Formats: sequence, C-alpha cells, structure tokens
Amino acid sequence: MTRRNRTLAVRTAQYAVLLIVVLVFALAADWGELRRAFFDIEVAKEQFPDVVTTALVNTVVYTVLGFTFGLALGLLLALMRLSQVLAYRWLAVAYIEFFRGVPALLVFISLGFGVPLAFQVSINQYVTVMLALGLVGAAYMAETIRAGIQAVPRGQTEAARSLGMSPARAMASIVIPQAFRIVLPPLANELILLTKDSSLVYLLGLSMDQYELAKFGRDALNQHRSLTPILIAGLFYLAITLPLGHLVRRLEARTAKAR
Amino acid sequence: MSARSARKRQHRISLTAAVTAALLTAVTACSSTKTSGTGGDEVQLVTAGKLTTCTHLPYEPFQFKKGKKIVGFDVDLVDLVAKDLKVEQKIVDTPFEGIQSGEDLNAGKCDLAAAGMTITPVREKNLDFSAPYFDATQALLTKKGKKYNSLKDLKGKKLGVQQSTTGEEYAKKHAKGVTTRQYEDVGLLLTAVKTGQVDAGINDNGVLYDYAKKNPDTEVTTEFDTGEQYGIGVRTGNDALRKQINKTLKKAKADKRYDKIYKKWFGTEPKK
Repeated sequence: MTRRNRTLAVRTAQYAVLLIVVLVFALAADWGELRRAFFDIEVAKEQFPDVVTTALVNTVVYTVLGFTFGLALGLLLALMRLSQVLAYRWLAVAYIEFFRGVPALLVFISLGFGVPLAFQVSINQYVTVMLALGLVGAAYMAETIRAGIQAVPRGQTEAARSLGMSPARAMASIVIPQAFRIVLPPLANELILLTKDSSLVYLLGLSMDQYELAKFGRDALNQHRSLTPILIAGLFYLAITLPLGHLVRRLEARTAKAR
Repeated sequence: MSARSARKRQHRISLTAAVTAALLTAVTACSSTKTSGTGGDEVQLVTAGKLTTCTHLPYEPFQFKKGKKIVGFDVDLVDLVAKDLKVEQKIVDTPFEGIQSGEDLNAGKCDLAAAGMTITPVREKNLDFSAPYFDATQALLTKKGKKYNSLKDLKGKKLGVQQSTTGEEYAKKHAKGVTTRQYEDVGLLLTAVKTGQVDAGINDNGVLYDYAKKNPDTEVTTEFDTGEQYGIGVRTGNDALRKQINKTLKKAKADKRYDKIYKKWFGTEPKK
C-alpha cells in the first residue's frame, strides 16, 4: 500500500465510523418523543418576551458585574503576585490557588450565607452576584494578566524608567496597557466562562424578576413538563457566547499579525 | 523628587494598599439594611414594606408558577399575614436545604419560610415554627398498574426522593434494600417517575395527589401515615413575627377564610 492509499483508507474508515454513529443515533432515537419534548411551539411561544426581557437581561447584567469586579481584583492580584513584598506575593498565591481550586458552586453557597451571617447585614442581590462571580473569575484573570505583564519586554520598563518615570508610573502607563493588549483574547474567553457560571446564581435565592436564563428555563420545565424552555435558554446562551467566541478569534488573529 | 530611588519600594506598596482600601470600602459600602434583630414586640422586616417569603418551587399546589405569577395554598395564607401587616408579599425561590437548615432566615434573605415544610425536631433547632397549618403524610407515587403498594414491594427497585425532605428521611429509615435516587426539586422527581427513570417516588401526599389528578398515567398507591404537620418558619427568636402569623392563622380559621383557601387548592373542605 502506498502512503497515499493508506491515508485514503484511514480517512474512509473514519468517515464510516462517523456515519455509523449518526445512523445508530438517528434510528435508535424516538423522534416523536424528542420533538414533543424539545420543540413544543406552544410552550416556546409562552416563554416570550420574559425570556429576553428578564432572563437574558439578567444573565448579561450578572456577567458584566462579575467580570468588571473580577477584572479589577484580578489586576490587583496580578500586581501583588509580581510585587517585591513577600506578604503580598503569598496572599496573591493563596487566593489564586484557593479560588481556582474550589468549585464555583461552593463559593456561591458559602458567600450567599456567609457574608450576611458574618456582618449581620443583608446585601443587595446584585452585589452578592458581583462578589461571587468576581471572586471566582479574579483567580483565573489574575494569572492571565500576570502572564501578560511578564510578556511585555523588559526593555519597555527600562526605557520608561530612563525617561524618568517612577516604577508605578511605568507599570501603569507603559506595561499594563501593553499587557492588556496581549491578554485580550484569553480575557474574552474568561468572559464566556463567566457567562455560563452566572447560571449558579439560583443558589443565592431569586425572586421572579431576578431569574437568569438557566433558572428561567428550569422553572419553565417544571411548569410545562417540557424541555423546550431548556433548549430556548441554551440558544440564548449561544447568542451571547458565539459572538464572543468570534471576537476571541478576531483578537487572536490581530495579535498574531502584530507580531 | 531627589530621593526617588529610596521611595521606589514605598511607591509600589502605597499603590497596592490604596487599591485594596478602595476595594474594601466599595464592598462594605454596598451593604444595605441591617437584618431584623431578635426580641421586641414590633414586627421588623428585612425589606421595609415587603414581607419576604423564602420558598422552593415548584410544590404544587402549595406554591408553583402559573402563567407569570407564583400562586398556591401557602402563597394565599402568607398573603393574609402580609395583609394584616399592611405590606405586600415578595417571594424568593431558593434551594430547599437553605430553607430547612434555617440559614436563609439567619442570613436575612427573607422574613419567613413557607414551603410546605413539615415541623420536625431537627428543623425546630434551626428555626422557629408557627402553629401547624396543614396536615400531611408521606405517600408513594408510581406509574399506573405497577402495584408497588409498600416499600417492601420496591426491594431491588429504584425509589426517587427529594433532597432534604421528610420523605427522604423516611426512605432512609424504612426502605431497606431499595436504591434511592435523590432529586433537587419535586418537579424533577415527579418527571422521573412519569418517564420511568425511577420505579416510584416518595413525597408528601398533597403534592402527589395533585400530580396524579393532572397526570392520569400515574397513581398514588399508598400512604405511610407519618402524621406530619406543616409550619411556617421564622428566624429563631423572631417571636414578634411568629405571634403575628399565629394570630392571622387563628383569625382565618375562625372566620372560614382558611376553609375557602383550602377548598380553592384541594377541591374539598379541610377534615375536622
């Protein structure tokens, strides 16, 4: 067998396996049941407009709040991680390892109960969401930003210093802006992850006007005993994440070109 | 700035410290009202002008979503309390383990918990209950014609339970040799029975009869006579609100408003 023939044979076998998998699925599945469960037009109609005006809006708001706070905290942690002060470095490492290591679900539950118990105050729902999502996101973003800062050539800092800038000024106006340019694609990736993590907000307890997409879908599943709302919620998540994914690829392409 | 090099380290420290301080202030500044203290005769609410109820949806016919509103037996009863307090009821849907452990109430997420919740000694330690407002017992739901009339019939079969409920407790104690499968809410549990993922489901009779009536392919095969009573939960020591709830319940039973609400959701008059 020549090499070309062998490649052809392997590829044919791959396609055959794929075809068999698709066929088995298509023949074995009960399409009537699936259509009834997932594509119930009547149930689908009932989800509008609330799924957009309440659920989608809340998902976006929760994500943006969490991302903003996470980004600020992540930047702070990244600076602490690179600091010359030992205590700061330790603190940052401890924080990052902890929040990267425990499931977001547990963070949400602990925060939802823990903060009000500790300080005897009831906190605004949006603040709790911002804290919970932000605390989790910050751990990942800190590492991303740190890598970005370290990827800025040392010559940049040295040049800035020789122009008479203080170290803080050099960091703030020369290094960090360039670092952010480098880490934009992974940060957009983090935004996608946070969008999906916002589905954990239900653990904090929600009134109906605070429902986000996942909770909205689950609730409608219980109400109609139909999986259609779950599918709709999923599609709306894609409506957020697909453009973001596209953005990530664009940014990556731009970074590649700039090099 | 002649002493620049000496200030090098200091600069970086003060920058980080400043950001940390700013962040901390932002966090603490966002906290709003203080949670209601214990003691005192006057009812204090977590959110002024609102009686906030913690519940776990769905629990038809006690609380469930109908159209765009949350309705049900418990909702109507708490509405009476809210009316006596001259405020509106606001409902928060939250996982059941947070309700029965009392943490939702301790954390000031809500003033009271009305979630078709049985008064049990363990829960009494976590929160304070109002006077009982509903009699319930555990029951078994199966697909029609399966003939699982007791837990013995289910040996080697799968029994669905709902997380943190008295049904789960009962199954743990009495269902020997039965595989239990835990679901997060009763909606998922009932769907599991209907679609045959489990052979039977255990839960409170009120909910199961309501479901069997609306889903004729399922039936309630037996009751376990656990003699349970539902109570409305308040934060431990919140006597002012607990007394108000008891007062409202007593009044509603005396002037038959309770019977009317009962008939609205269960189709019959309450047993005397």
